[in-house]
Amino acid sequence: MSTGTESDFVYFLYDLATYLLNGITQGSVYALVALGYTMVYGIIKLINFAHGEFYMIGAFIGFFCISSGMPLWMAFPCAMIGSGLVAVIIERMVYRPIRYAGRIPALITALGTSLFFQYFGQNTLGADPKAFPKVTDFENKTYQFGELFVSTNQIVIISTTFILMVFLYWLVNHTRTGKAMRATSFDKNAAELMGIDTNKIISFTFFVGASLAGAAGVLVGMYYNTVEPMMGLIPGLKAFVAAVLGGIGIIPGAVLGGLVLGIAENLVVGFWVSTYRDAIAFGILILILLLKPSGLLGKNRKEKV
Amino acid sequence: MDYIIHLALMSGIFIILAVSLNLINGICGQFSLGHAGFWAVGAYSAAAYSVYWAPPILDFLNLFIACGIGFITAAFAGILIGVPCLRLRGDYLAIATLGFGEIIRILIMNMDVIGGPRGFTGIPKWSNLFWVYLWVVITILFVVNLMRGTHGRAIISIREDEIAADSMGIYTFKYKTMAFVLGAGFAGIAGALFAHATQFLHPNGFTFMWSVIILLMIILGGLGSITGSVIGAIILTILPELLRFFGETVSQWRMVIYSLLLIVLMLWRPGGIFGKHELKIPFFGKKENA
Amino acid sequence: METVLETKNITMRFGGLVAVNNFSLKLGKTDLVGVIGPNGAGKTTIFNMITGIYEPTEGDVLLGNKSIVGDHVALITQQGICRTFQNIRLFKDLTVLDNIRLAGHFKMDYGVLASIFRTKKYHAEEARLKEEAMELLKIFKLDTKAHHLAKNLPYGEQRRLEIARALATKPNVLLLDEPAAGMNPNETKELTELIRWVRDHFQIAILLIEHDMKLVMEVCERIYVVDHGVQIAHGNPSEIQNNPKVVEAYLGVQDE
Repeated sequence: MSTGTESDFVYFLYDLATYLLNGITQGSVYALVALGYTMVYGIIKLINFAHGEFYMIGAFIGFFCISSGMPLWMAFPCAMIGSGLVAVIIERMVYRPIRYAGRIPALITALGTSLFFQYFGQNTLGADPKAFPKVTDFENKTYQFGELFVSTNQIVIISTTFILMVFLYWLVNHTRTGKAMRATSFDKNAAELMGIDTNKIISFTFFVGASLAGAAGVLVGMYYNTVEPMMGLIPGLKAFVAAVLGGIGIIPGAVLGGLVLGIAENLVVGFWVSTYRDAIAFGILILILLLKPSGLLGKNRKEKV
Repeated sequence: MDYIIHLALMSGIFIILAVSLNLINGICGQFSLGHAGFWAVGAYSAAAYSVYWAPPILDFLNLFIACGIGFITAAFAGILIGVPCLRLRGDYLAIATLGFGEIIRILIMNMDVIGGPRGFTGIPKWSNLFWVYLWVVITILFVVNLMRGTHGRAIISIREDEIAADSMGIYTFKYKTMAFVLGAGFAGIAGALFAHATQFLHPNGFTFMWSVIILLMIILGGLGSITGSVIGAIILTILPELLRFFGETVSQWRMVIYSLLLIVLMLWRPGGIFGKHELKIPFFGKKENA
Repeated sequence: METVLETKNITMRFGGLVAVNNFSLKLGKTDLVGVIGPNGAGKTTIFNMITGIYEPTEGDVLLGNKSIVGDHVALITQQGICRTFQNIRLFKDLTVLDNIRLAGHFKMDYGVLASIFRTKKYHAEEARLKEEAMELLKIFKLDTKAHHLAKNLPYGEQRRLEIARALATKPNVLLLDEPAAGMNPNETKELTELIRWVRDHFQIAILLIEHDMKLVMEVCERIYVVDHGVQIAHGNPSEIQNNPKVVEAYLGVQDE
């Protein structure tokens, strides 16, 4: 009897480790997308609904590049720059004219942009999921530690995410541009008076945010082996939840929120029911908004009267 | 002919949906993106009534009861969602309601008694033009009369300036919730009528996309304008059918056109076609302002 | 005189920042009292604590003899304190009449169903509300513009409408937050007379925050001076004008 329960416990630990690993992998992706949400919100107070679509665009650019035989180390930056450029164009054409019209019109515009990319993609690329081509740079092997299986893909996703985050941290905290970004997000008018070209900084923020989402898109394409035009909708919303969970506008918050959400989802799916996977994120959103709307790392602020 | 009747029926249902969403979004200024969720709750609960519990009485009485059930269940869902979410500021509320709308759909997907992912079949066809448009009239009269009373004015004041409204002794949270719950309830009635018109319900028929389409109807007509909502609902019900005349490919581009419409409206005419004004028919014009 | 409003050592902290420290004030039944102080001295925070927008970190606010700390903003208004705002918060897209009618909302005595079914009570109550509102508008010389949208009124009239709207809640205490902000000397002069007239006509207490020294000195019977959230002086206008502390903190700055 005792040995039975003991091995049950060991298996439980292996299960737990597997779900945690899956959760961290998925959470890394949420975190990458959430970073863009949080940066854009931090700087112009816009919930950029279309952010999930930058992730989809990144995935498709990666898909086409790799299909044409490009190695991953080249396809990856292509996808990042490509989705970054799309974001800059969208910001210039759509968000900039609406910036001073108030939050709700801006939100509706973002919603329209998001739908536009989804359905434009569906009509031009086809609605069916496409198989993501095999990456030529490395073979996706699975390593076994006892009963825990770790794949090369998981290692690539987690390590790439880590590198990108370190890079972003450096960019925001240790460069002139980063300083200008922080200044703009703190007080746009004051930043302008100090001679910062805030329009340029906002464009740049969109570029960085969207290229991180694009990177996440390629990673997810590799991980799940499929891409489709609607793939940005749900992960986009979940990344938003992650951003709110960590405290919107706060960069480390987005990472924390992404990881917490990824792990929570995988634990619930693993130990409870899988059909409610997509409901968890929204449940967390409601909880956090009720208990601490400023997010895990945020400070409570009062509205000025 | 059947086709035209069906279109008229759907227009009526969408008028109810648009007017009820306008109560929340346009009149009260609370930005909800979960209207399809309330529509679904009303549709499924009313359908469950007529499939499982309906006594053998006259059809229109049963339909009336089904509409009542649709209203009550959707309004109840509105309380569950509204009370926690309405404390939030505009853009957060939008995402939270969107999330709730999706949760509702996922819950339905997981309920086998009402068909789950297979869809809910065997719903009797009780809706017809007369009953649908009777409810259209009831909905519009309800909202218009509400707006002309002190409670309606309180609801509007929240859209104008919530802090000022509080400072004038108005319990804004109460009126926000009232607008939200009533809006949800009427969406539930639209759901009941819809279920008994199409006789088949599927969770994927109530996706987030439909919340956006209803939103587009009221934005097109003008946030806050009842006549605008009516016209917006009719245009967007008929437009896809007109597009069909240009062939399947054009019809496929419907959502692309809608999304562009949404962007273009926001950029060039954020007030919608009518703004906050009502299209006045001289005969019905109110005398109060004379 | 009977005290209608009293704040007892109210303190407001935002994190580490002390916006208002131990502020006490007494307001008699028909007092006309001013609170002055340099920018950022915590004047509006005092108003926000009295009206319930912020809950004081410490201290008590008494209306009559009852503590109103923790009451909802709307409930405080219903108990008899009403205010205007520094940067005019009218219901801009509603008519002048509707702005006033909304202030009478909480005294309306009919339910939602009564307005849906247009009952007798609905008509009677609405008629009463409209009559009272029009009367008030006449006093403030806005009755001819009752059906104009609030946002279309000239600035001075918007200020006047905001005061009228606050009075429509029938308060015992009226708080005016920089009513002369943005006004030209002529408008300010009219306002001075209006404030005094409102106090005499409605027999209420008025507490006023103002930057315009001339207006405060002319209209207020007593003045509290705050600087950095602390009360540094209290007295009648001539006492305040001759108080070296005040001159240093506030008037001195102006003279330079």
